[in-house]
Amino acid sequence: MPKSERLDFDTIVGFVTEGARVLDMGCGDGTLLERLAREKKASVRGVELSEDNVRACIGRGLSVRHGNIEEGLADYRDGAFDFVILSQTLAYLDAPARVVKEMLRVGGAAIISFDNAGHWRRRCRALRGGGMGQSLLSGEPRERAITIPQFNRFTREIGARVRQTVYLTGQSPIHRLRRLRATAAVYVISK
Amino acid sequence: MIVKTQHAKFDRALKLQSGAVLEPPITLAYETYGTLNADRSNAILILHALSGDAHVAGRHGPDDKKPGWWDEAVGPGRAFDTDRYFFICSNIIGGCQGSTGPSSLNPKTGNPYGLTFPVLTIADMVEAQRLLLDHLGIETLLSLVGGSMGGMQVLQWTISYPKSVRSAIVLAATAQVSPQSIAFNEVARQAIYADPKWKRGDYSDGEAPNDGLSVARMIGHITYLSDTSMREKFGRRLQERQKYGFDFATEFAVESYLKHQGDHFTRRFDANSFLYITKAIDYFDLSLGRASLAEAFRDVTARFLVVSYSSDWLYPPEQSEELVRALLQNGIDVTYVEIRSDYGHDGFLLEVDRLSGLSRDFLARVAAAKPL
Repeated sequence: MPKSERLDFDTIVGFVTEGARVLDMGCGDGTLLERLAREKKASVRGVELSEDNVRACIGRGLSVRHGNIEEGLADYRDGAFDFVILSQTLAYLDAPARVVKEMLRVGGAAIISFDNAGHWRRRCRALRGGGMGQSLLSGEPRERAITIPQFNRFTREIGARVRQTVYLTGQSPIHRLRRLRATAAVYVISK
Repeated sequence: MIVKTQHAKFDRALKLQSGAVLEPPITLAYETYGTLNADRSNAILILHALSGDAHVAGRHGPDDKKPGWWDEAVGPGRAFDTDRYFFICSNIIGGCQGSTGPSSLNPKTGNPYGLTFPVLTIADMVEAQRLLLDHLGIETLLSLVGGSMGGMQVLQWTISYPKSVRSAIVLAATAQVSPQSIAFNEVARQAIYADPKWKRGDYSDGEAPNDGLSVARMIGHITYLSDTSMREKFGRRLQERQKYGFDFATEFAVESYLKHQGDHFTRRFDANSFLYITKAIDYFDLSLGRASLAEAFRDVTARFLVVSYSSDWLYPPEQSEELVRALLQNGIDVTYVEIRSDYGHDGFLLEVDRLSGLSRDFLARVAAAKPL
């Protein structure tokens, strides 16, 4: 799916307050940041690993730093941003706990979205030998699958508080049987 | 585009970073391209690298065979668009292509300065450029752009005149010249010192130390290429032979290239200027006298576009990243791109296509933003 059509973006835009300072870790082609700048008058910055995506961001008039998000947070001042976003990237990080703690240092809140590995279809796949992956605090990077209970446990383990959550299936938020039915989740957490 | 080199002459002394004084008259050779708009808000200063000059783009006449050194990038509709912006480039002081340097006449003696010319720094070059901008009636620059030593001047400008700079484009540069770079510069200088024609810089009434200067340039060129670009460009090919000659003639293509570059350079460059300019590069360290590099940018408000080139080992991407970190620590608006390139340090001059989109988008955004 092209990143520009991503479903979690609407939810993330909804979470960001008017005029906020926002950093998007792994901002892709800048679609989300451009929306935040336009719809929320946000002051936006991005970090992105791919040169082509960085070029696309600059083409949208965005300020982007070409580099690895796991190394990129140390240079920002405490509280430099109101929101630090990590969308659909948590599962690929080598050290998620360290990154998320840093996000909460440089940002008042972190907005994190991930695909729910606990969705029933993915559970069926897992039963056929796909594997459910490891805890967020350990395990092999690149293949890590995240479930909603796992993420809730992760926030407790790093001492973060969950402020808001939205569970998505298709285009719409859901409220019942979310562990099984949600294809993706978006959390707002803070210290 | 037909352009003419102009000369601005200043009848005032320039106090230098070393404490020495450069006595008047001070001349700066410069060229301009495009048109300064009514509110003087579209001026961009281009800063040249070690061997560059004021002639960035266009030709000096209809019969001029060779355009300026960055003609691919600067012109109507090009990456640096002369239809939209007004560009200025001056030869640095200490240079030998129209601006006051060691080959100029010392007003006190009536003879060329030679080594009596005061040692300069990048900050001194910037002070001279400030005189030129005052002369042209330009208070604020929309942007500054420079690669290599030109990038060092860009950085120095943002620090020396933070209120006069709206944005900065820094290509293949560093905020602190590394010991390895100093080492190459010193070997190049030693090649000049070792030439008996150099005579401690006092060669104006005899032959110039071209053998030494040529070797100095060859050393420089090695640092501008990459291992990959040398393999691709030359391989182990022989230049004018089919097989090894078992002698000491120039036989490998890479030898022939370096020799050509060295010889060619002596026709347009002064050995003493080379010494002064490389010394200015060696002294460049924005963290000097400060607790950290970040502290150097404390008062800077300009927006930055910092570009590095992946195979550049003279001022490698890590050094640009160090600069970017120092800027971010000050909350400065910075965009950073590492361009994948096999051209080594020369990438900043050769990868014009890949720079164009970046610089055009960046400048459009700066131009659209409210002035400082």
